[in-house]
Amino acid sequence: MDLAIKDLGEYIASALPQDITSTGLVLDELVIHARAPGIVKVVTFLRDDVNCQFKQLMDLCGVDYPEDEQRLEVVYNLLSLTHNNRVRIKVRTDEETPIPSVTGVYSAAIWYEREAWDLLGVFFSDHPDLRRIMTDYGFEGHPLRKDFPLTGHVELRYDDEKKRVVYEPVKLTQDFRSFDFLSPWEGMDRVLPGDEKAEEAPENGGDEADG
Amino acid sequence: MKLMAENQIKNYTLNFGPQHPAAHGVLRMILEMDGEVIDRADPHVGLLHRGTEKLIEYKSYLQAVPYFDRLDYVSPQNQEHAFALATEKLLGIEVPERGQYVRVLFAEIGRCLNHIFNITAFAMDIGAMTPMLYGVEQRELLMEFCERVSGARMHMAYFRPGGVSQDLPAGLADDIYAWCDQAGPFLDDIETLLTDNRIFKQRAVDIGRVSAEQAFDWGFSGPNLRASGVPWDLRKSRPYDVYDQLNFQIATGKNGDCYDRYLVRIFEFRESVKLMRQCLDKMPEGPIKSTDSRVAPPSRGDMKQSMESLINHFKLYTEGYHVPAGETYTAVEAPKGEFAVYLISDGTNKPYRCKIRAPGFAHLQGIDMMSRGHMLADIVANLGSLDIVFGEVDR
Amino acid sequence: MGVETKPVEGLPLPAPLPPGEQQDAILRAVSGELSENGFVVASLDKVVNWARTGSLWPMTFGLACCAVEMIHAACSRYDMDRFGVVFRGSPRQSDVIIVAGTLTNKMAPAFRKVYDQMAEPRYVISMGSCANGGGYYHYSYSVVRGCDRVVPVDIYIPGCPPTAEALVYGVMQLQKKIKRTGTLWR
Repeated sequence: MDLAIKDLGEYIASALPQDITSTGLVLDELVIHARAPGIVKVVTFLRDDVNCQFKQLMDLCGVDYPEDEQRLEVVYNLLSLTHNNRVRIKVRTDEETPIPSVTGVYSAAIWYEREAWDLLGVFFSDHPDLRRIMTDYGFEGHPLRKDFPLTGHVELRYDDEKKRVVYEPVKLTQDFRSFDFLSPWEGMDRVLPGDEKAEEAPENGGDEADG
Repeated sequence: MKLMAENQIKNYTLNFGPQHPAAHGVLRMILEMDGEVIDRADPHVGLLHRGTEKLIEYKSYLQAVPYFDRLDYVSPQNQEHAFALATEKLLGIEVPERGQYVRVLFAEIGRCLNHIFNITAFAMDIGAMTPMLYGVEQRELLMEFCERVSGARMHMAYFRPGGVSQDLPAGLADDIYAWCDQAGPFLDDIETLLTDNRIFKQRAVDIGRVSAEQAFDWGFSGPNLRASGVPWDLRKSRPYDVYDQLNFQIATGKNGDCYDRYLVRIFEFRESVKLMRQCLDKMPEGPIKSTDSRVAPPSRGDMKQSMESLINHFKLYTEGYHVPAGETYTAVEAPKGEFAVYLISDGTNKPYRCKIRAPGFAHLQGIDMMSRGHMLADIVANLGSLDIVFGEVDR
Repeated sequence: MGVETKPVEGLPLPAPLPPGEQQDAILRAVSGELSENGFVVASLDKVVNWARTGSLWPMTFGLACCAVEMIHAACSRYDMDRFGVVFRGSPRQSDVIIVAGTLTNKMAPAFRKVYDQMAEPRYVISMGSCANGGGYYHYSYSVVRGCDRVVPVDIYIPGCPPTAEALVYGVMQLQKKIKRTGTLWR
């Protein structure tokens, strides 16, 4: 039974009212916001229900919103081959609270959750093998967080006396040149003070430190 | 007969090291082996993790385009395609028809590049040295076309949000036709060497069997999924650019073993050649990039004459365009599988988060499932047939 | 270098001689010249350098995209085999290591181990801008800013990726460097 994508969202929301906070369409793509503790139930429903049949977990990634209370968001992108649909599920958590792992539902999630743990610090409970996957063996920190600097904290070179590679604090010969295009001195789409004819200026200052 | 004292037999752990001629790049696999048979394979990736996603967050959208070239470096343009489509979706702009045809043409060129490389590298890993030598010459001819259109053999930075960067030069269409005519006989030659070859069959048939349920569970896509019998191709089910106006077929395999994956790729290569001919036949005249000047830079002639064009060019290449806030998950049928970009924009000129969904990452997870119970030499065959390239796995 | 090569009496340079009475005579003459003049050592240097450059065996160390151009350089069009360059899989059997691609922090110890296993004389060609100085990923947290932080490099080949022709040119430059600066003991 093929439901239009919006109806599908409402159908899913009505089937799992406690675990799903909202559904909606963003640029013609169905997005479901769910609560972290119930994610396994949501995902199992989406995989097994006859109208959904989202048999493949295509992507599981993390996003960092440092200004929010619950700064880490995990996004699951599912694909249904029989109905030719895609759906996106988002859950939020903070740095200490774990999210239940969906590796029991989709084996593909094993490495994706390891990557989210490694690069962002999202902890998954009941994961069979949660260790770092992308970063170096003794790496400290979670690189994709917004407060982690681009160039990192350590760099590597080979030391001839110690006859092995050593890690030293980063020392760049030329700094990363980042241009702050949001400052009033660069871009011109910000309202200058005293310009009454222009529209209302946006709320926050916009001078985010970049780079 | 006196029984021997109880011997503790431990699994032998072998490090299939990061430097290995058949490792397809930097792969470190810890293999726990019971004699010659593999009990468990644990791949260690991340030896080519260059921080692409973090770097993209610090660059404008146009500056981020070359990062995608360097992901799957045997068919660079298909990755750029995904990013261009994602950005266009967020911007809400349309690409003119000629631009779409040029994109599909070069995407199919990328598919040919990838399948030649994979088939011949797979054969070389198994032991057949000749196909690589002749296949690479075909790749050189294709890379010549890439160079004529964009200036660079490999990393073209050609597919940009809004269209492509430059139009096809005169004479290129005829040369691509000539290449298509000789590509069929070339592939026939490779097939006579490999497809019915007893040794090749012994090393590939029934090795690394993946059933359709396992393929779904492990997130397989592309030729690996089709070889397991699932007729799923993003060019047919969710067509993008002008794929819905072109005629082509997709192949599925029966057993899901390495041999089927090889056959699926051979068939796709032939279909790509057909698609290239159709694109050249149907290509209309017109602009190749969006005429929206908020996104597409003016021509160089205009830029050198008119002040407004110069300012437009300057702003586009320094600050870049501001993409409205939103998010999208855009997937294309890359030669290796479903390559997708999950792009979150916050309204500024830099992406907020750009997650790259690489097919190789999901496929490499499955190597453990595929290789249990097989012998050491079969791991090499499995790796080769899965088509893994570390640029995209590690990003 | 200011040294003049003088052919040994009666024999044009270089002429291969089959083993036998004549070859022994030449060798005795050469060692006699060695203690007298010293310029024969330079000639022996040239023979040794000719042997070394004529069969530079690189190790396959393709890390990233430059590896594809390396493969192209080794295949039919820009055939490197005609220069005597045969790719070997093992560091113990190779003379030169072509670092093709980005060297990351995780890979660096393995790379150094492989380099240490090579026998002298060994050379390093750094191919591509990632290996030269970090390249496109210079500012990343997990990339070594140039493989010369880990090994001493002889030739740098710029490009992203350098075309296969550029790699062949780089190998020829290495041959010239060996001929120019090579001595018997590396």
